Amino acid sequence: MSALLETRGLTVRFGGLVALDAVDVAVDGGETLGVIGPNGSGKTTFFNALTGLYAAAAGDIRFEGRNLVGLDAHVISRLGMARTFQASRLCLGLSVFDNVLIGMHARRRSGLADLVVRRARFLAEIRDAIERAAHLLALFNRELPARGFEPVGQLPQIDRRRVEICRALASEPRLLLLDEPSAGMSPEETAELMKDLQIVREEMPGLSVIIIEHDMFVIEGVSQRVVAFNYGRKIAEGSFAAVAANAEVREAYLGRETARA
Amino acid sequence: MLLVLLTESALFVLIAAAVLAERPVALAATGAAILAGLAATRFVTPLRTALGRAFERHHATALVGGAAGALALPLALSASPYWTFVATLALLYVTIGQGLNFQIGTAGVLNLAGAAFAGLGGYTVGLLTVSAGWPSWLAVLVGPLVAVTVGAVLFVPILKTRGHYLALVTIAFVFIFNILMNNLEFTGGPQGIKNIPTLQLAGYPFTTKPTVFGIGLPAHANFYYAALLMAALTTWIIRRLYDSWLGLALNTLRDDEIAAKCCGISITRGKLVAFSIGNFFIGLGGAFYAVMVGFVSPPDFDFGYSLVMLSVIIIGGVDSIPGVILGACLLVPLPERFRFLHEYRLLLYGVVIVVMLLYRPQGLWPAKVRRYR
Repeated sequence: MSALLETRGLTVRFGGLVALDAVDVAVDGGETLGVIGPNGSGKTTFFNALTGLYAAAAGDIRFEGRNLVGLDAHVISRLGMARTFQASRLCLGLSVFDNVLIGMHARRRSGLADLVVRRARFLAEIRDAIERAAHLLALFNRELPARGFEPVGQLPQIDRRRVEICRALASEPRLLLLDEPSAGMSPEETAELMKDLQIVREEMPGLSVIIIEHDMFVIEGVSQRVVAFNYGRKIAEGSFAAVAANAEVREAYLGRETARA
Repeated sequence: MLLVLLTESALFVLIAAAVLAERPVALAATGAAILAGLAATRFVTPLRTALGRAFERHHATALVGGAAGALALPLALSASPYWTFVATLALLYVTIGQGLNFQIGTAGVLNLAGAAFAGLGGYTVGLLTVSAGWPSWLAVLVGPLVAVTVGAVLFVPILKTRGHYLALVTIAFVFIFNILMNNLEFTGGPQGIKNIPTLQLAGYPFTTKPTVFGIGLPAHANFYYAALLMAALTTWIIRRLYDSWLGLALNTLRDDEIAAKCCGISITRGKLVAFSIGNFFIGLGGAFYAVMVGFVSPPDFDFGYSLVMLSVIIIGGVDSIPGVILGACLLVPLPERFRFLHEYRLLLYGVVIVVMLLYRPQGLWPAKVRRYR
């Protein structure tokens, strides 16, 4: 079986800086892949290249056998790739439901005419969509659907992160990219987030996930396989234990051990 | 329900009184009554909550009452053709404001060329009727399409730029439009186009003075009712577009382009759609203006009017559909009422906007969250 996503020699350059250097990564259907690496090692650049926000200078990105290089971000999103961002990118003034509904926008069936004159069609569609959004939100927090028509800016940080994950899931992706979901969270909140990710796994067994994390407990808990980045290169790949024991990875995080006199 | 109708009747009486009061004493009394009413609804909490609840519950009644008031207004103003004209102008600004608000408020496309797109509609009507001999009603329908087409062709390369750049380019466009209209032969140069034939529907010319319920109305009442219909239709269409996938997608790309892209929204396409829909209604307002006053000239569409259109949106509330109506109904008649201040009234106008931006940036009637009804 061929991989759902496969990059070959993926390279991103900013002027003279090579932010991503010939990266080969593959993800199978239903698999969760953890991505680790020090700050500035190219993890987020990797996501930005996959989702089409950055142009690849060289290499291939194959998603379900199709090459994504050169496609616009909105086209790639419609092919079944959804993501969250390290710093939340919700529209804080819009309602909780609206922030999830926008994930379903690309799958809408009603055209411009339905919006204005054949309104009943659109209203039926949007009612279904709101119901699905409520269902998704309730998976993570039972109280969220009741707050669906409140501006998302009124929610606490952890619920905002959940709304963002719901927005990504609302597009029914085959690949979900999570960019450091535990960023800025307390240990308790991170533990809740772990549970949330388990829920995603159980609800959508066929969904592949790539998760960037600095919290090693999260990585160990959710991922089946781990790759480590440093200076834009992939330096290790394998099980969490194998990667954690890798000398190059330890060096990247902790520095080289020097002989003491 | 009674409370809703009572409040609306009081409002209607106050508006009519404010407009028609001639003597300083009467004017001062009306002004005081309006201020007292505003203060009461603002600071007397039980009244405020009661009114809020009544209008919430009897939404439909409030709408019907408002419509009745709008329909009855020319009867109250029948003595004054001038104020009927001003009221019509306010309704044109509702149409234009809804279009512009869809661009600026909903999609974040900062278009400061509202005057130029209204001018494209107006001049198209002038050229089609006077030079080509088309019937006025047909020209009024074609005018907005010209505004849309010119907008789309000229601005496709620029729509990708964000915020201030687009604002600068649109400002430049208003000035270019004015210079062209002043200097081109076929648009009549500084004199503009005169003798645009009035509207005529099914053999009924809009210059006849109608009589309603035995009350003789000025000829401008014809335009008032046509403009009322146009403003109501525009508001209805824009509201439905806003409360839909399109409005949601445009709000998202306004707030965060990267998030919008990653949700499968094409930024260029979204902005172009919003820009074109907005320009249609702005052009429609301009086209209607041309047949109403019977001539178009460059100063009718200069940059100052772009700012008036922008102010309508800021006063009412950016991205708020009822806000546009409120903004237009306040901003267009008020400066006329203060004509005795001569040039200073423009200063007053600037002060109002500065105060608004400082103390109530969300506008007088801010937008609420989308409920999809």
